[in-house]
Amino acid sequence: METILKTTGLKKYYGKGETLVKALDGIDLEIERGKFTAIIGTSGSGKSTLLHMLGGLDIPSEGSVNVDGTELARLNSEQATIFRRKRIGFIFQNYNLVPVLNVWENIIFPITLDGRKPDQDFILQVIRLLGLEKKLDSLPNNLSGGQQQRVAIARALAGKPSIILADEPTGNLDTRTGDDVVGLLKMTGREFRQTIVMITHNPEIAQMADRIVQIENGRIAAQ
Amino acid sequence: MTEKKNQETFNPIKTITQRTFRKNRSRNLVAVLAILMTTLMFTTLFTLAQSMCKNLIEMTFRQTGYDAQASCKAITPEQAEMLAAHPDVKELGQSIVLGLAENRQLGGRQVEIRWADDSYAAHSFAAPTTGRMPQSAEEAAMDTITLDRLGIPHEVGQKVTLEWRKDISDPDAEPVQAEFTLCGFWEGNQSGYASMAWVSREYADAQTQGQLSTGTEDGILGLYMVQVSLYSDNNIEAAMDRILADTELDGLEYGVNLAYSPEMGATAIQETLPMYLGMALVFVAGYLIIYNIFQISVAADTQFYGKIKTLGATDRQIRKLIYGLANRLCMIGIPVGLILGWLLGAALVPAFTGIIESGGAVSVHPLIFTGSAAFAWLTVLLSCLRPARLAGKVSPVEALRMNDADTPRRRKTKRSHTGESLAGMAWENLGRNRKRTVTVICSLTLGLVLLSCFYAKNTAFDMEKYLAELTIADFELADATSGNYIGGYDPQGTTLGKDLVQELETMEGVETVGHQYSHQLVWQFDDQTTENLKGFYTDALLADWARYDPAGVDAFHHAVDTQEMNAVVFGLDGIPLDAVTQPQYVMEGSFHPEAFSGGDYILAVGPAIAEKDGHPVLPVPSVGSTVTLEGRSYTVMAIVFPLDPVDRGASEAGAPEAMEQHFILPTDTFRQNWPENTLRKLFFNVDDAHMDTVQNWLDAYTATVDTSLPVTSRQSMAQQYEAETRSTAVMGNTISVVIALVGVLNFVNSMVTAILSRRREFAMIQSVGMTRRQLCKMLVYEGLCYAAVTLVLSYLISALAVGVGIRGMVAGGFTTFRFTLLPLYICTPILLVFALLIPFVCFQNLESQSIVERLRMD
Ligand SMILES: Nc1ncnc2c1ncn2[C@@H]1O[C@H](COP(=O)(O)OP(=O)(O)OP(=O)(O)O)[C@@H](O)[C@H]1O
Ligand SMILES: [Mg+2]
Repeated sequence: METILKTTGLKKYYGKGETLVKALDGIDLEIERGKFTAIIGTSGSGKSTLLHMLGGLDIPSEGSVNVDGTELARLNSEQATIFRRKRIGFIFQNYNLVPVLNVWENIIFPITLDGRKPDQDFILQVIRLLGLEKKLDSLPNNLSGGQQQRVAIARALAGKPSIILADEPTGNLDTRTGDDVVGLLKMTGREFRQTIVMITHNPEIAQMADRIVQIENGRIAAQ
Repeated sequence: MTEKKNQETFNPIKTITQRTFRKNRSRNLVAVLAILMTTLMFTTLFTLAQSMCKNLIEMTFRQTGYDAQASCKAITPEQAEMLAAHPDVKELGQSIVLGLAENRQLGGRQVEIRWADDSYAAHSFAAPTTGRMPQSAEEAAMDTITLDRLGIPHEVGQKVTLEWRKDISDPDAEPVQAEFTLCGFWEGNQSGYASMAWVSREYADAQTQGQLSTGTEDGILGLYMVQVSLYSDNNIEAAMDRILADTELDGLEYGVNLAYSPEMGATAIQETLPMYLGMALVFVAGYLIIYNIFQISVAADTQFYGKIKTLGATDRQIRKLIYGLANRLCMIGIPVGLILGWLLGAALVPAFTGIIESGGAVSVHPLIFTGSAAFAWLTVLLSCLRPARLAGKVSPVEALRMNDADTPRRRKTKRSHTGESLAGMAWENLGRNRKRTVTVICSLTLGLVLLSCFYAKNTAFDMEKYLAELTIADFELADATSGNYIGGYDPQGTTLGKDLVQELETMEGVETVGHQYSHQLVWQFDDQTTENLKGFYTDALLADWARYDPAGVDAFHHAVDTQEMNAVVFGLDGIPLDAVTQPQYVMEGSFHPEAFSGGDYILAVGPAIAEKDGHPVLPVPSVGSTVTLEGRSYTVMAIVFPLDPVDRGASEAGAPEAMEQHFILPTDTFRQNWPENTLRKLFFNVDDAHMDTVQNWLDAYTATVDTSLPVTSRQSMAQQYEAETRSTAVMGNTISVVIALVGVLNFVNSMVTAILSRRREFAMIQSVGMTRRQLCKMLVYEGLCYAAVTLVLSYLISALAVGVGIRGMVAGGFTTFRFTLLPLYICTPILLVFALLIPFVCFQNLESQSIVERLRMD
């Protein structure tokens, strides 16, 4: 199988001296195209940091990240942004919705930033699946945590990216909705041959993945 | 839901720009205010500069007396006609001089009796604004200065008598008494060297008998002159030469109007340069503060930019967003700032140009507006540059994490044993964003320090010291010819008649009096004096002197060669004698009143230099040497400083052109020698209670009895000084106030943003148990900490700046240094009130939303 995400000797240190935090401490990871990978680990183990590195949102202290044959380190900030918005759908742990935009606008925001036309039928389908059709005109501040999370998911899916990086996408959802969302992710993943990397604390959801990677203290503890 | 599908193209950046702009009303207000103030300052500066320039040019024209490009004094009417026909000559004005009006009341003011055509009059700022130019032999037109002197109402049809001589070089020539009917007048030009009294061509021709002269060799009667106006101000000399060559008049002498000469422009710039530099300095300071205000506002959004960057906004798009927001702010701030700035500038112009007669014209040059708008816009763009770069450089995740604190790493803080007090927390909060805290404190401190310095400098001026040099008595009256530099002083003048003097000296409230008489004679001086002169006037000094007064240098050489010069002897008693013999004005020797009154001693008046200024000798007879004046010998007792009220005045009429040495004798001795000389100046002091009565009496006297009596009062001198220096005072105060305002605005802004940006944090600490009283208290403590640090710094730096800097700056001159920090004392409570009030008001505002609402807020 073809490798789409590859990290070599990936390290990310924060601070220095006494306050040095080794968020990532040498991660070598290969993820295959079209696979659904779950990342688990205790809180503070470095999962979010790893996901940010994979998406080119942060710059490694050491080591490299290769996404679909592109060395992220080679890209300048502008190129990295364009690369990311075309290829990667991100679901953030804290949703990261734009407060001045309503739900619909938030969902199509990355696509329109890229100058593309949103595939409205597809997006509406996703919205319906996520149960957001009544909330399209609401501002993020007026949504519950779970609703905000679903908007973030819809936004990540809207552009049909080849890679979806999800940071605890079901953390705020009840078990049923959570299962539905993961089901949706898997389904669209299969349909569009998407590679999914998902952080989760929920062992059941982790079990739905093709592969589980466990991170502890910035290293891969088991996979 | 289907209507969503039909939604027209959604432009994400534009939408966000619009909505962010609408969302941050209060913050926009501060930013708009900042932009407005920048624009206002620039516009005011430009308006002032442009108007000053305009007025300065106008003033130089008025000083040279005309605004045509060139003038010729040695030209015949035929030649003038040829010139006028040349296509490059726009206009040619002609005039014929008859003589100078010598009415007694005109003493000190040159009034030229001339015929002129309309063009010449118009270009000489002497075209009648009421009435018209004279047409018949009985008519004349003149300016209001002349009319006022002659005591004639400003009314066409009034009878005016002018007295003049056909040959002014002959003092005994028969004066002509000519009566005219006033046919026109105009506002006089104080800064001009002379006033014009226009007569008709008919009258002129009758007086000259048609004899026109082309030079001043044989008097000025019939002197024909023209003014040439060209189409262009550039290269006047070359243009004139070309015109002369074309008309085959090469070699014709002409003068280029000094006001057009490049040196004139250079002097104008030189004179205003220090002012511009000072202004620029202060404006840079103000600009930096405003820059800070705006930058704080933009920097607060960095987190937001990081967020949309993680969602795929490129650096270019973020820049577009930042500039889009800035431009919206500019669209409101700049136009308002332009209007207000121009109005402020217009209001300030009179203060700046008040001393320039006819000044006060406010420029509306388009450059003012385009320039200020461009500068303000540039300032804003520059302020955006950094946040834009920051948002671009920082990795998106980091930008996301950035919040109010500029360093994410947590510093280890030493906890006191008593746990965390509110004040301690407040202090720590200040340290959280050290860069901002430092910026705010610095800008506010800068404003306060500048304010203190300006104030200290302004108050250091000592009016008493200033007046002491210019006036030595409450009132100083002089003979009408005392200041007549053209006709000369008449030692037998009658202005200060016995009756007048008697009446004044016995007037109620008059405390002390003093007199000055003067006499001029040719004086043979001794070898020692010659040596002194040579020793004082070194080659360097002479070269310097020659640059502005070559005739004076010639007179010096002549005096040294022949050992002969003019001596002006003043007879002094009372106020002037006491004043000039004060220890600080005695340059050499020492003054003994009893010995002096004996009549064998004389005082020599020295040069106007401070102390000896490094000169080995003074250019006057040495102390102890003998001076012989008209047969009588005196011993030089001391050399005194040429105190203006004593020494100022015209030379005697008919005296030969020569260097002058001034001497002082007691009045009694003087009166014995020259009994027929009349009083030249009368000095008297009046007690405060009668100051106004005496002033009113004199006003009435000069209005009705003798319009020519020159009166100088200490009061009017002080007023005049105030009028002259109002511009600098207004400038300093305006700038200080603007800077202080900007500083306060900055303080308010940063406190408000600091509080608002922490809404969520406050909600959090409230949700975990801090009561609103405690929170409010903490915020107030924070404000007080801010104010306290600022004040402590301001006091320290101001004390240093005022105590050392200003003290040094104002040393010498008419100043008395007084250490004062008054502006700080005034600002202290204001600042403290703000520090208390802002957190309180902001907190009230916060309280209007529930904790939950605030927790959810982004
Ligand atoms: N910007 C930063 N500065 C300093 N330390 C950081 C920073 N970002 C992350 N860390 C540290 O790096 C470590 C890993 O953080 P990370 O967010 O990756 O954990 P996580 O595994 O996602 O935890 P959780 O499951 O709670 O989300 C943590 O100890 C965190 O404190
Ligand atoms: Mg995490």
